[in-house]
Amino acid sequence: MTCVELERSLAEVDDGSEPEQRDHLKHCPRCAALVAELLAIACAGGELREAEEPSPRVWNSIEIELRKEGLIGPQRPRHSLLPSFGNRWTWGHWLAPAAAILLLTVGIYLRRDSQNSARPVADSTSAPVKASVSDDVRAGLNDDDLMAEIAQQPPALKAQYTDNLQRVNDYIRDAKTSVDADPTDDEARRSLMEAYQQKAMLFELALDRSLQ
Amino acid sequence: MNGRTIQLVAVSSAMAVTVMAGTMLAETHKEFRFNVGPKSGLSVSNPYGSVSVKPSSGNVVIVTAIVASDRVEVDNNLVGNRVEIQSHLLAGADPQSGRVDYEILAPADASVTLHSTSGALRAEKLHGDVTLEGAAATVDVRDISDAHVHVKTLNGPVTITNVQQGHVEVDSLSGTVTLNSVTGPLVQVISTSGAINYIGDFGGRGDYRLTSHSGDIEAIVPDNVSADVSARSVRGELHDDIHLQPRQHLPYSSAEGHNFWGSVGRPSTSSTVVLRTFSGKIHLSKHATKQ
Repeated sequence: MTCVELERSLAEVDDGSEPEQRDHLKHCPRCAALVAELLAIACAGGELREAEEPSPRVWNSIEIELRKEGLIGPQRPRHSLLPSFGNRWTWGHWLAPAAAILLLTVGIYLRRDSQNSARPVADSTSAPVKASVSDDVRAGLNDDDLMAEIAQQPPALKAQYTDNLQRVNDYIRDAKTSVDADPTDDEARRSLMEAYQQKAMLFELALDRSLQ
Repeated sequence: MNGRTIQLVAVSSAMAVTVMAGTMLAETHKEFRFNVGPKSGLSVSNPYGSVSVKPSSGNVVIVTAIVASDRVEVDNNLVGNRVEIQSHLLAGADPQSGRVDYEILAPADASVTLHSTSGALRAEKLHGDVTLEGAAATVDVRDISDAHVHVKTLNGPVTITNVQQGHVEVDSLSGTVTLNSVTGPLVQVISTSGAINYIGDFGGRGDYRLTSHSGDIEAIVPDNVSADVSARSVRGELHDDIHLQPRQHLPYSSAEGHNFWGSVGRPSTSSTVVLRTFSGKIHLSKHATKQ
């Protein structure tokens, strides 16, 4: 199966669980990243949906109508996407989806925070910004993983990455402090997004390096 | 073993070592030529070594590669209307033996993507989109018009000169970024600790955004500049030597740090300029005029 064929096949089976898809995904990090990103977006969409989730009855009614119209077929067992990637995946292969999840997480956080800031003061002050580490770890951008990935690099290069990691963490910390100080400050919020983008880029560059 | 035998062994060994070293490190020149259509694509991935792209005459891509040793190969493909070049490192390759330097001529309207870890990346006189990425790579982009320019580096310095009417987006962790005569609807630089230098007129009624966490930001503008400037340094100094006409209200509610928001020149042709740093210095000044 080629990359193009895989992309076409995702229209039929979108979780990459078919045997041919699995074989291709095992050897093609690019397509695997694509599928993982699709999954991440779907998961994040689920999180976003929670805010204004209609009752299950509404979904059931829609589903029944779609089946009546013949627009969707009967349900069949679905396999989980995640185990199908196999054990050869290192943390680095999760970088693209992890970065996507991280940015989505920040976006959701900022959106939620924005909504909180529009509420009465008692609400907005009850949820201070947490340390950046928890968000990073949750998204798979763990500093320890980065250090492990560059452990085999020459000392000078390791020092560069370590230094930049420290600086970008300082950036995230300062940006969060600014958002805390004034949750309505759009510039501060944008800085926080940019700080996370910088960290994701650092991980991306480290991965590029380690793959050589 | 008599003296003559020892001499023969020594000479043979020396010759063998010379031949082997010559084979391993012999620099070779390779050339590849591809006929392409309009708006073609070119991507080059080169871990060690430089890549330079200049315009060719006609719809042809000519790749000249200087290959440092036989520990690296040049893979080349024409896929549809896209030329793909990759330096393929073989076992034992290191930054010296794995080095390939490319000089490439490509149609001016080609979209170009260059990737190198440590070599210099250079693109000039093109009007297709240009994307350059490299950790420690030195990036030099010049004379680009009506195209988007995207650059990413870890600590490699970035210099962009004479780029008009395109989106320019630069992300660098700690490299110094210098924009000289760069204008367009969107010009954005994001850095963690690198300094940002802008020399130009913020033209084109565009959105200009220069941000660095701890790097200094310096903008040097001509007398005829027209811009709405919002600048803030949370902990650093801020110097306005172009004498902006201050606005009454800041575009943000916080009075944190040092801020200014003002305009200069004609409002009808003004660009929006945002300069932001947490601990760096911001300095706005005018070109030194000749007496």
